[in-house]
Amino acid sequence: MFEFFNQSEVIKIIIIVGSMSLFLVGLFGLLTQKHIIKTFISIAIMESSVFLLFIGLSYKQTFLAPILADGQQNFSQMNDPVPQAMILTAIVIGMAVLALGVSFTIEYYKLTSKTNIDEMTSLRN
Amino acid sequence: MSSTLFIALPLLFGFISPLFSKFGKNTTAIVSTTMQLFLFLLSLSLLVDAKPYVEVISINPPLGISFVLTKVSLFFVTLFTFLMLMFSLYYMSYRKTIPYKNETKFFILINMLLASAVGLVLSSDIFNIYVFFEIAGISAYILSAYKKTPSALEAGIKYLLTGAIASVFLVFAIALIYLNIGSLNLAVISLSFEELPHNVKILISILLLVGFGFKIEIFPLNFWVSDVYEGSSAHVNTLFSAIVVKAYLFVFFHILYLFLPSGEFSIFLIYLGAISMLVAEIVALKQTNLKRLFAYSSLGQIGLIFTAFAMQNQDGVQGALYIIFAHSIAKTIIFLSLTTIGKKYNTYDIEVLKKLNSNFLKVVMLIAMLSLLGIPLFAGFVGKFLTLKTLAVNGTFLAMGIILLASLLEAVYYFKLVGFMFVKNEVKEVLEINKTQKVIFASLAIILIIVGTFPFVVSNFLLDSANVLLDNHSFITMLMH
Repeated sequence: MFEFFNQSEVIKIIIIVGSMSLFLVGLFGLLTQKHIIKTFISIAIMESSVFLLFIGLSYKQTFLAPILADGQQNFSQMNDPVPQAMILTAIVIGMAVLALGVSFTIEYYKLTSKTNIDEMTSLRN
Repeated sequence: MSSTLFIALPLLFGFISPLFSKFGKNTTAIVSTTMQLFLFLLSLSLLVDAKPYVEVISINPPLGISFVLTKVSLFFVTLFTFLMLMFSLYYMSYRKTIPYKNETKFFILINMLLASAVGLVLSSDIFNIYVFFEIAGISAYILSAYKKTPSALEAGIKYLLTGAIASVFLVFAIALIYLNIGSLNLAVISLSFEELPHNVKILISILLLVGFGFKIEIFPLNFWVSDVYEGSSAHVNTLFSAIVVKAYLFVFFHILYLFLPSGEFSIFLIYLGAISMLVAEIVALKQTNLKRLFAYSSLGQIGLIFTAFAMQNQDGVQGALYIIFAHSIAKTIIFLSLTTIGKKYNTYDIEVLKKLNSNFLKVVMLIAMLSLLGIPLFAGFVGKFLTLKTLAVNGTFLAMGIILLASLLEAVYYFKLVGFMFVKNEVKEVLEINKTQKVIFASLAIILIIVGTFPFVVSNFLLDSANVLLDNHSFITMLMH
C-alpha cells in the first residue's frame, strides 16, 4: 500500500509541497505574530523549510553516501555532498543569528519589559 | 597571496586580541589601527601598477574556493581599508574623551566588518558570498546594539529581523541555483544562467533581489534603515553608510552582470533606483533628527548609485563608482562630525546646528554636503553628471527627470541645514576639536575637492574598473583557467 509513496517522483512532490507549506507557515507567523521571540521562531521555520527543500531535492534514494569504502572504487551512483555541507554551514549561521536575536530580546526586555514589536516605538516611525 | 591578507589578517586579529589587552589598555586599539594602516598601504601598493586582473586565487576550479582581485575590487578594497583606517584613528581620539571601558570587543567587530566587506567584494563563489553576507550582517547587528540602551537594542533587533529574512531568501536562491545548475562558482553559473527555463530564471532573480534588496536598502525594502541609523551611535553609522552598503551594492551588481549580461531587467532596475531616491528625499524633508535625516540622504544616494549601476554600460558604471567614492567619503565626514557634535551637545536634534560654534567643523560639513548635492568642483558632481548624461543618452528621460526632482528636494533640506549652521546668533559655547580629528576631517575634505576639481586623477582608473566589471568573458576565463 505504501509502495506508491516510495517512488522518487512522489517523494519529490511531497518534499516540495511539504517544505513550501512550511515556508508559508513561517511567513504567516512572521506577518501575524507580534511577540519578538515568536517572529524569530517564524524565521527559523522559514529557514528550515528552505534547508529541507534543498536537502530533499538533491538526495537520490538509490544512491550511496559519497565515501569510498565497502568495495566502492569510484564516485558513480553517489549522492552529491555539496548541498549537505552547505546546509550544515547555513544551519550553524542561522543558529548563531537566532541566538544573537534572542540575547538582544532578553537585554531589551530587562531594560523596558516589552516583548511586543508594536510597542517598540522609542525610534519614531 | 596578498588578497587573502585583507580577509585573513582582520579575522586573525579577532582571535588573538584577548592577548593584547594584557599589555595595557590601548594596545588593542593601536594594534588594530596599525594593521589597518598596513592593509591600506598594501592595497595602495597594489594600486600603483594595477593590471585588470591583479590576482586570481582559484583552488581546484570550478569546485574549490576562489578569490578574484580585479581592478574594480581593488578600488573597493582600497576605499574600505582607507575609510576603516580613518574611522579607527577618529575613534582612538574620540575614546580619550570618554571614561575608559574595555573595548576589545568593538575592535574585533569593526575588523570582522572590514574582513567580511572585503570578502564580499573578492569572493567569486556564491556560497562564500552568503557566508560573508552573514558575517557582515552579524557584526553590523552587534555594532548597532553596542550601546545597550533601549533604542540601540531596538535598532539591533530590527536590523537582525530584516537581516534574517534577507538571508532566508538568499539561501533559497542559492539552493535553486545549485539544483538547476549544479555549481556554486559564479563563472560556471554565469555560463548557463541565461539558458535556464524562463520561470526558474525569474524566480531566482526575484529571490536574489529580495535577499539583497534588504541589505542594499532599496525601496520598498528599506523601511528599517532610518530606525537602525537613529538607534545606533553616530560613529557606527559611518561604517554602515560608507562600507557595509557599498560592499553589498557591489556584490549585487557583480552577480547581476555575470548572470544577466544582456540586461533583461535593466529598465525596471533603473526606475526602481530612481523611485527609491525620490521617496527617500521626500521623506527626508520633514525629518528633525540629524541621524535620521542623513539616513534618508544615504538612501537617496543609494538609489542614485543603483540607477547608475542598473544601466549596465561603461559610463553608468563609471558614474556609479564615482558616486560611491564621493558618497563614502562625504558620509564619513558627516557622521564623524555628528559624533563630535553629539558628544558635546548630547542631542542630535536639527536645532543643535544653530548652537554649533566651530568654523572648522562648519566648513568641513559644508564641503561634504555640497559634494553630496553634486555641486561642481566637488567630487559628487562628476558622478551625478555622468549618471544623468548616460540616462539621457539611453533615452530614459523619465528616470532622469525623477532624479533631477529628487536632487532638487535634496538641495532644499541641505540648504536648510546650511542655513541652521550659519545662522547669526548670540554668544555660543566654543566646540573644541582636537588635532587628530582636524587632520582626519581636513584630509577627507581635501580629497573631495581634489577629485572634484581634477577628475582626471581617478577617471582613467575608474573607467578601466568599469570595463573590468562589465567584462564577463575574461572574468570567466581567468577563473576557470
